Amino acid sequence: MELGAFVVVPGREDFTAIHEVQPHVVASFENPRPLYSSRMPIVGNDVLQSWMDRIRKLGVQSLWLTSGRRDGTVTRSELAGFARQGVERLLVIKLNSYAEMDLSDLLRFHCESRNPVTEAQDARGQLGVSLLDQLALRATEEKHELSSAATDCGRTPYQFSGYAKRILAARERQELVGDALTGACAMRPFGKQISDQVWIGEGVSLASSARIVGPTYIGARTIIRAGATIGPYTSVERDCVVDCGTTVERSTVLPHTYLAPGLLIQDGVVDGGFLEHLGWGTVADLQPAGLGSRIPRRESRRQASCEVPPDVSSPADSVPAWNFGSSSAASQPWLQVQL
Amino acid sequence: MTILPFPCAMSSALRRAQRKDLLSALRVSGSPVIVDLSGCPALNHEDIDLVLECMAQVAGRDTQVLFVAGSGVNRVLLEVTRIPSLVPVFNSVKEALAYSETAAGSDTKDQRASQSQRVWGAA
Repeated sequence: MELGAFVVVPGREDFTAIHEVQPHVVASFENPRPLYSSRMPIVGNDVLQSWMDRIRKLGVQSLWLTSGRRDGTVTRSELAGFARQGVERLLVIKLNSYAEMDLSDLLRFHCESRNPVTEAQDARGQLGVSLLDQLALRATEEKHELSSAATDCGRTPYQFSGYAKRILAARERQELVGDALTGACAMRPFGKQISDQVWIGEGVSLASSARIVGPTYIGARTIIRAGATIGPYTSVERDCVVDCGTTVERSTVLPHTYLAPGLLIQDGVVDGGFLEHLGWGTVADLQPAGLGSRIPRRESRRQASCEVPPDVSSPADSVPAWNFGSSSAASQPWLQVQL
Repeated sequence: MTILPFPCAMSSALRRAQRKDLLSALRVSGSPVIVDLSGCPALNHEDIDLVLECMAQVAGRDTQVLFVAGSGVNRVLLEVTRIPSLVPVFNSVKEALAYSETAAGSDTKDQRASQSQRVWGAA
């Protein structure tokens, strides 16, 4: 039975990396990015890449990638297209979670239970991973809500008891960072370990007076200026600048973020000019107060090329890339990705 | 106890006047002052500068200044700038008043205790 794989990236993601390769294909993806993107690295790792690795282990040669609505729902026309192409069974993954799931076990469960639809869930609910047989693909209604399909039909869901986090929620995302830094999950920081529980990516610039307290990760080309303190339980992702004297603790700083001098960031997720406080759930705009901003991509590269000392570089830290297969039409909002 | 609103008028002229009034009031006040930021939806860099100026106005005197963030966003911005490590910051005027009363009570107790110690020492 031919198995196809379909990954939905919720919330109209930043497809810059794809855009650089096939600009004409991804015009429809160019929408304002939400506060958190499931494509944002987590201690240097791309969650999409981790799902692609799991799909590859099933023997699937390629997958279809699309950007969907914030809730990751899939339309009938998108699914019906697969049925027409002869796909008899479809694995659909909404990229809203990181789960250390053995997809072959999900497939085995699906075959044994003979459900047209099997939805994976853990103790906290659905994980956005589903298997659909041709029967279900053909029976899709006007708008196929995968989240309700399994429960509405009274099917037995696949109960996943392994490690899983919802990466679009700031708190769970930060928990995943902490777990990756302390070895509590399979994800590992993507870089070179320079001391106990401290990892850095390639081209990181650390001022001699900066203090790095593990467990901490600093992503590629990030600049940590004099007197700054990073950590513990902190991830400053790639292409960031943390200015003099700023302290970042139990927090994540997402790529291309500048933090002004003398700040105290605790229990937060900073994305460009926005800070979400994990304790209060408040999102503050740092830009009007001159406390933080997004660094234009070109500027961050220039800074890196000018200021990065060669001795702290690591070859490992870069967001994993992939090769693109053919897309059936430029107007289609999806891409075929070779695994 | 004096409660002063933080300048947040849309008009820059009015805002300048409010700012001047606030700083003058802080300069002459002998009692604790609560500066209420509730009227400002989110602080900008000028507001942060003014908060620091307010602190500077009472520095070196017995006058205590307390800030009421008034919103979660303001609270986060004040935390990020480390202001709560220098002066007390509260979510509401009610909380600030309660703190001030408690602080005043404990000050009176401390004064009584030091007086009784002096009497006991003299005896």
